[in-house]
Amino acid sequence: MQAIKNFIIKNVSKTFLAYMILVYRYNRKYKNILKTLIFSIKALFHFYAPNKKLLKGTQIRKLFSKVKIEINEEDRFVYNIDIFKTIQRDNRIMDNVTVDYSKILNSSLNEMKKINENMKDCDYKNGQRDLLIGIEEYIDRECKEIEKSNINNKEKLIQYLKSIKDKKAIGFEESIQRILFFNQLLWQVGHGLNGLGRLDKILGDKYEQDLKSGKITRQDAKDMIKDFMKIIHQKFWYKSNVLMGDTGQIIILGGKELDGSYFCNDLTYIFIEAMEEVQLPDPKVFLRVTDKVPRDLMELSLRCIKTGIGCPLFSNDDVIIPILIDFGYDKQDAYNYVTAACWEPLMVGKAVEQNNIDSIVYLTPLTEMLEKEDLDKIETYNQFVCKYKEYLKQYIINFVKELNEITWEEAPLLSLLTDDCNEKLMDVAYGGSKYNNYGATSVSLGTVVNSLYNIKKFVFDEKEYSLKDINEIRKNNFENNEELLNKLKQQPIRYGIDNEEIIDLTNEITGFVDEVLDTQKNRLGGKIKFGFSAPTYIIKAGTSPASFDGRKNGEAFGVHISSDKPSVAYTELIQFASKLDYDNHRFNGNVIDFMITPSFIESNFDKMVDFLILSITLGFFQMQMNVTSSDILIKAKANPKEYENLIVRVWGFSAYFNDLPESYKDLLIERALKNEGKSY
Amino acid sequence: MKVRVTNIQRFSLHDGPGIRTTIFLKGCNLKCPWCANPENLDFKKTEYYNETTMEKGCFGYDIEAVDLFEDIIKDKHYYKMNNGGVTFSGGEPLLQIKALEPLLIKLKKENINMCVETALQVSTELVEFASNYIDEFIVDIKILDKKMCKEILNGNIEMYNKNVELLISKEKIETFRIPLVNEYTLKEENIKNILEFLKKYKVRKVEIFKIHNLAESKYKSIGKKMTKFSEVEDKKIKEVYDKIKKLNINVEIIKI
Repeated sequence: MQAIKNFIIKNVSKTFLAYMILVYRYNRKYKNILKTLIFSIKALFHFYAPNKKLLKGTQIRKLFSKVKIEINEEDRFVYNIDIFKTIQRDNRIMDNVTVDYSKILNSSLNEMKKINENMKDCDYKNGQRDLLIGIEEYIDRECKEIEKSNINNKEKLIQYLKSIKDKKAIGFEESIQRILFFNQLLWQVGHGLNGLGRLDKILGDKYEQDLKSGKITRQDAKDMIKDFMKIIHQKFWYKSNVLMGDTGQIIILGGKELDGSYFCNDLTYIFIEAMEEVQLPDPKVFLRVTDKVPRDLMELSLRCIKTGIGCPLFSNDDVIIPILIDFGYDKQDAYNYVTAACWEPLMVGKAVEQNNIDSIVYLTPLTEMLEKEDLDKIETYNQFVCKYKEYLKQYIINFVKELNEITWEEAPLLSLLTDDCNEKLMDVAYGGSKYNNYGATSVSLGTVVNSLYNIKKFVFDEKEYSLKDINEIRKNNFENNEELLNKLKQQPIRYGIDNEEIIDLTNEITGFVDEVLDTQKNRLGGKIKFGFSAPTYIIKAGTSPASFDGRKNGEAFGVHISSDKPSVAYTELIQFASKLDYDNHRFNGNVIDFMITPSFIESNFDKMVDFLILSITLGFFQMQMNVTSSDILIKAKANPKEYENLIVRVWGFSAYFNDLPESYKDLLIERALKNEGKSY
Repeated sequence: MKVRVTNIQRFSLHDGPGIRTTIFLKGCNLKCPWCANPENLDFKKTEYYNETTMEKGCFGYDIEAVDLFEDIIKDKHYYKMNNGGVTFSGGEPLLQIKALEPLLIKLKKENINMCVETALQVSTELVEFASNYIDEFIVDIKILDKKMCKEILNGNIEMYNKNVELLISKEKIETFRIPLVNEYTLKEENIKNILEFLKKYKVRKVEIFKIHNLAESKYKSIGKKMTKFSEVEDKKIKEVYDKIKKLNINVEIIKI
């Protein structure tokens, strides 16, 4: 796969590739050939990317000078992305990142320029200098366009933008405008899947000051936040990565403080209320929780979740922070974690760790082993597992090797906003940031656990089949052998249930991967983390053959940490997940995912809040809920026009149901039916 | 001693206070036409075959009562708030209450809240026995007319009344639960009887719910045909709700 990517990167014109991706994304949204054709012609005339021989910072300056600035007079804030202008890339661009907006609010371009002036002369310094000039010029151009427009509060907006040059941000509204300004720059230079960070914490003081001075009311602040959400949602078709809605625009709220107390403020509540009211699939909200989270905050969160927008997602600081510290992150940084784009913990402002770099597919080495080994010679279950581990080890080593073939495009803007790059005079692409680890995700862990358990039961314990015979049936995709298929599928002891043997087996496999990764380093000198939830449960499954868990060729893998068993109690799933080992390298996003109907939450609201609070103290890692019912999904699939605003949770994001490929719709329906105890 | 169980349902939210684990015991002495758990009617094990999933098996397995403890204790963490715990349901769970004793002793020791969901139409001796261990009874109110209770449910209303008296005197009834069926329980005369009954025995809560047709595939899988009933209108449910509310009783419409 990496070889294909490298081939494309090396041989296809970068500008053409960027142009094609843009047209593809447009068509993905509008699904209309004529419209796409017109768009592609328009794009042809407006498309621009600076000469790639220039320093990257200089390229960005040029890019900013060409960006068409359009002021939407309906909006409260100014936010501009010219989708036809981009940067050429010879390498993979760093994405899945959240910059530290508090640094931006509490600093100015002049301060950044001063730091730059004191650097010794080198390409890094010169690129950064040009980038800073480019940002200044962009501000001037944007101010001119505001001046010409009829937007409300133009003086205020101009003042907000100009103050970026030489002042810290002062007010709440100004701070939001400044965040939007830098956010638009990140999108403009191509850093997709970028998060917004701990906005309740970052903006808390500004909000309190303005509230006290009578400059704004609570309602004003909520209206501003709603406008902020709407504005960053506007071009979500362009911002979306693999699937529509996958933008990585995540707002982190709440969290554990160094003294063990729980942080939240009025803004924490306002953000969730705003989310509940705007009813958009993107941006999304992520709530860090601890055993001290206030009950009313959980109630508000559940009310928001109940609307079906799929968030907030809960992240358990009591479990996560100690693991981050053990891994080697500084305590201060660990307590201030955000996520990369979905749920992968990230040290904000200190790292551009590519936390969604690729997925480990546990099934691949199992299939390889079944193809290559003489199965008659495997006489015991232990031998079988040992053999699997041999292949798994080699698979992981090769996986890391492929990761290390990836070269990164220089990213001066990210380097400007990330600690240690200026001191090291090194771009993040070469390991300039404080932390330089990679983060992998993983799929088919449940498939392998269930497969191993079934092999143990039916081949080695009960001796119903020989390994060779059962493998032949599997290879034939269980054709004409529905009986075995059902037996494997219905075998009740499986991944996601509270069973000691299954939990031990899961920990044994992830522990083994952990050990192998402990011996590996990435090309930037960092480690490789991994998590058990991944976005690729359909994509990677498409090319994976049938497996012993009763899965046929190409059928989807399990979604994150979930159970494929019908009607598994939520407490059972949480008990299972809470007993998994997440330490060492195993913390790169571990989200429990379950389906629940709106009426279930409605009729059991208080008990559901109890359940959430008790689940935190039990020790889950992360949790998200997909609130929908099979009835609604089936109707929405049949009559898309009547359900245009139906939002569902997909992997780590929410999306309009209608925007999803059919395979994702079908999987959601299947899971909803199973959850409701209806047969599928 | 062994008990016959059909299902252990964790994260049960409708069968008593807090978050609970419900143990469904096999066998019932009544024959309510709207029964939603037909697999629990007979005490003897019942084979099933699901045509859609091609799954076949048997409802009911025997297990040492005390061995159920392991499953119940799994969610102990979730029982911490609002008196969560275990509920014995069925079928009629009181029919096997004596066999459950070793388990009840163990649960009592662990301070786990115990509920029974019962129609209470069993011998008073069993009720008396159960009341030594069980913290709260959730008692059905179905058909209160003596003759109709016998004819339709195979019930004994005199015994029921005696048992209710007993448990009320011991302050053990937490909730009365009323299934709403147009053709039976919602008959004018029965509702009148129910209201009189509720006036007499005030408990903390009354739950009303309309019966559903969701058990159809279960009936089919055990070779039985489900009697279908007319849809109970929301208006009708509200009427009953209001009438009970008028008696100053905390009433709740639940979905089962």
